[in-house]
Amino acid sequence: MNETLAALAAITVLTLVKATPLIFAALGGVLGERSGVVNIGLEGVMTAGAFAAVIVSGATGSAIAGAIAGVLAGAALAAILAFVATRLAYDQIVAGTGVNIVALGGAAFGLVLIYGQPGASHEVPAFGPAGERVLTILAFVLAVALALFLSRTPWGLRVRACGENPRAAAAAGIDPLRTRFWAVIAGGAIAALGGVYLSLAELDLYSDGMTAGRGYIALAAVIFGRWSPIGATGAALFFGFFSALQYTLQRAGIPSELMQALPYLAALVALAGFAGRVRAPAADGVPYVPDNVRA
Amino acid sequence: MAAFFKLRIVRDLGVALIVVFGVGSIAMLLARVSPIDGFSALFDGAFGTTSEFAETLVSATALLFPALGIALSFRAGLFNIGAEGQIILGGLAAGVAGYLVPGPPVVSIVVTLLAGAAAGGIWGGIAGYLKAKFNANEVIATLMLNVVAVLFATYCVNGPLHFPSANEGETPLLARTAWLPTIIPDTRLTIAFVIAVLLAIALRFVFTRTVFGYELRAAGEAPDAARRAGIDLGRVAVLAMTCSGAIAGVGGATIVTGVLHRFNTGLSPGYGFVAIAVALVGNLEPLWIGVAAFAFGILQNGALSMQAEANVPRDIVNVIEGLVIIALAGRRVISARRST
Repeated sequence: MNETLAALAAITVLTLVKATPLIFAALGGVLGERSGVVNIGLEGVMTAGAFAAVIVSGATGSAIAGAIAGVLAGAALAAILAFVATRLAYDQIVAGTGVNIVALGGAAFGLVLIYGQPGASHEVPAFGPAGERVLTILAFVLAVALALFLSRTPWGLRVRACGENPRAAAAAGIDPLRTRFWAVIAGGAIAALGGVYLSLAELDLYSDGMTAGRGYIALAAVIFGRWSPIGATGAALFFGFFSALQYTLQRAGIPSELMQALPYLAALVALAGFAGRVRAPAADGVPYVPDNVRA
Repeated sequence: MAAFFKLRIVRDLGVALIVVFGVGSIAMLLARVSPIDGFSALFDGAFGTTSEFAETLVSATALLFPALGIALSFRAGLFNIGAEGQIILGGLAAGVAGYLVPGPPVVSIVVTLLAGAAAGGIWGGIAGYLKAKFNANEVIATLMLNVVAVLFATYCVNGPLHFPSANEGETPLLARTAWLPTIIPDTRLTIAFVIAVLLAIALRFVFTRTVFGYELRAAGEAPDAARRAGIDLGRVAVLAMTCSGAIAGVGGATIVTGVLHRFNTGLSPGYGFVAIAVALVGNLEPLWIGVAAFAFGILQNGALSMQAEANVPRDIVNVIEGLVIIALAGRRVISARRST
């Protein structure tokens, strides 16, 4: 009996560990998409967060300073996407793909430049178990805060208006381009916390490819969670649970690759099963061009 | 002359060149290397000797296949971000088929390439089918399928398709009969290059002169009008994604049969993503994509000697490629269709 309880406790803890970075990334994605911008670059934003956090933590000896740097780096990278997706009305999917490539390449380049070695950084001051728990709690707090922000505040209403019908929002005196611009940057800052968690809480270093597709799972979590912060958090927990199961079932002789693929397969099934029944924000992914700019 | 500079392709190439030399120079300065030394190491590595030039064409070939596939899907308004996974599975199929199916040279080569096309086509087709049947977002689907492809291939070569004579993560060396013949002796440049160029020419014909090409364009640029004109958008989605995946899959197969002579789970250093930049720089037009693939082949291959000779980490090339993608994300043709 005690063993069962212990096993359950272990898998719950592991689920939370695996879900926390996904929650941050998914919340960042939700905020962007509710404003009308799809951020395919979440993976890159997490990478930037994880990398900058390690560099600054290593340089200053403070994990907190590292975390702040990570958040700023994620926001800065998201700002590139925010700019081209709003002011230039560029294609968000293509630009987001570029963001991912830039971040992965930039981190690998920086690693060699700063540490003189490819692959991984040195170990740096990290958060430790207590900080890890604080970040997990922060993820849930942010989920509730974002839900309240979107549903109960005038700014939240503005963000949603830009995601549903930017032209009507503009007619009501809202600037869709500015709203989207800042929503994407704020989303980037939140998603970057997921990267910070990976490099400074789960581990204490940066290694190439450490985000390992989590930004993509987060995109699926956004859809799975029907574009709501609470829903996306639930989806992230679900995917986190699958990742946690991986370690348990691996001992039962099930190939690890199959287990690793499970969250992605679940996302594919969800994508197909949910697609007919859920609706993205109406203007999600559609560039907004103000009337006076149109020829 | 003025008309020449108004061509979109010329402007796009100009933007790409500015990014390459601008960002490249900054990165070299960060690495405390003079840009002149850095770029001369890069170009020396890309053109210095016959074998280096051949390697540049090898890289260009590896990029040209997936870029052509991506262009096909983009033309239909579909974002195939899954070329990477399609390359890997195409390579896996070719590696297994090439090892298991013995035969005279021509047969064995045709079989391996077709196996690659089939595997890549199925992988792309899944995303197309999910799109057509359930209106599932193909961007997310192909991103998921990329990860699943790597895991699946790793599982296969270490599990059920593990052959005693192979190392971990690899299939055994292919029989000589399945190797693609080289076109420059003692280099790794094979007829894969010729196949890719012929494919580009063929696709140009398909895009401009066939009903399928017309349907792709109609579905991509004016989906509502296309639907009213009786074009089955679901069928176009499945066909376009399957063809797109098959082309990338053949590309993966040629890496196996022409370059590595065995499948290795690391056979693509992100060709499927860089190929997006190649397709965009090439304005989604097959022949221009060929030019763009050559330019990116110079970067990919030159980066190795830039790192070795001038001590500039080659990862900067990825940053450059990503920035080129961002800079060229404003294409009208792929922005048109976002609501189906």
